[in-house]
Amino acid sequence: MSELRKDIIGGRWVIIAAERSRRPDDFRPKTETRKVETGKFCPFCPGNENKTPPEVFAIRKRGTLPDQPGWLVRVVPNKFPALVRGDAPALNRSENNLFFWMEGIGVHEVIIESPDHQREMADLSLAHLEKILETYRQRITEIQVEKQYRYIHLFKNKGPEAGASLAHPHSQLIATPIVPKRIQEELRSSKELKEKFGRCIFCHLIEEELKKGERVVYQNEHFCVVTPFAPRFPFELRLYPLRHSAWFSGIKENEIKSLARTIKFLLGRLKKVLSDPPYNFYIHQGPNPTSTRDCPDGLAEYYHWHFEIIPVLSRVAGFEWGTGFYINPISPEASAGFLRKEKQDL
Amino acid sequence: MKKKKRILVVEDEKNLCLLYREELRKEGYEVVATTDSLRAIELIKKRNFDLIITDIRMPVKDGLELIADIMAIKRDIPVIINTAYQSYRHDFMTWAAEAYLIKSTSLDELKAKIKELIG
Repeated sequence: MSELRKDIIGGRWVIIAAERSRRPDDFRPKTETRKVETGKFCPFCPGNENKTPPEVFAIRKRGTLPDQPGWLVRVVPNKFPALVRGDAPALNRSENNLFFWMEGIGVHEVIIESPDHQREMADLSLAHLEKILETYRQRITEIQVEKQYRYIHLFKNKGPEAGASLAHPHSQLIATPIVPKRIQEELRSSKELKEKFGRCIFCHLIEEELKKGERVVYQNEHFCVVTPFAPRFPFELRLYPLRHSAWFSGIKENEIKSLARTIKFLLGRLKKVLSDPPYNFYIHQGPNPTSTRDCPDGLAEYYHWHFEIIPVLSRVAGFEWGTGFYINPISPEASAGFLRKEKQDL
Repeated sequence: MKKKKRILVVEDEKNLCLLYREELRKEGYEVVATTDSLRAIELIKKRNFDLIITDIRMPVKDGLELIADIMAIKRDIPVIINTAYQSYRHDFMTWAAEAYLIKSTSLDELKAKIKELIG
């Protein structure tokens, strides 16, 4: 089993999945990158269901059987996961209180977004996107019942430069027994800012951005997409629900329809404006709401779930790694201008 | 007499390749071993195997590309990935294999997995 270890200075947890390597230089990546698309075999394609673990959820055509073709969206556990399901792990510490570690428990699932190997999320129909989003909601809601998983992270890597190992469109969900550092930082800061401004800081910023308009890329009745005021990366985006809520699982059916339109618009624009870039997107939401120690009173009022979307157009190097400062070669106002479309035809 | 199950071992380190061949023969299997992944493709096309054991990091054609080729030729052959690296677990092409094992000086885990898959 892997182990979770804490860096007490940075406050960051890492997953150690130790391997029996032979020499230190074995860890250096090969210079050539394996082609994501071999064109010969894909374990996610229909007909290869026996190459995946049994499905835990699927939206299927009527009359089709589990783990057989006929699915439209299919969710399977990771066949070779770094974290495995288990009971709440004990936190171990060294006698001098310098080193902290625990068993590496967790959930790792893959959401196979479509039976079509070639069709990217940007090119799917609105009805199909709604099915994917409904699947996200279903999986998050089901895993939330298990309170040992204190945070549920849902994300998508598109393209090898963004970390995808297969071209077949898929997203992933990883539930961890700790609340990640970035989420803790957002929670702490949104709590402080709620005290300062007397309202949810996200709601406050959304209202200001919509009023100003220069960083707004898209808006409909339930969602908006903006470039943040201080983005780390070129064309970095935030997608916010206009209705205040700390958890994605609280999304309503009509909001799923609006969210599908929003995602289709923004992925379509990224594809067109940036020539089909690799990207990562992920949901930031409150910790597992069944974990009372992670969700103190008031959290539901001061935290606001959202998507972060990052086209992979630049590399993080020494300055950024060492300082946490980012140099962004394009202003968010200019990025928004490129991505905006006068006629929103969705 | 019961026919022996035939295993193909693909491992670019010559000594390990020989070790696997001898150890698995002792277990009663017929073993064909090669250090060359391109040769492995030729063998798979010509002969029937009950199981394939492959390393990942190999020159010319790596184990994941080899697995994709195997699936295109004979999809039903079970494959065991036997590698020194955990990091390839992130690559979903590994799912074409039945098992992902980390190389060890003891072959007990490998032998147990072979037994589980083909008896």
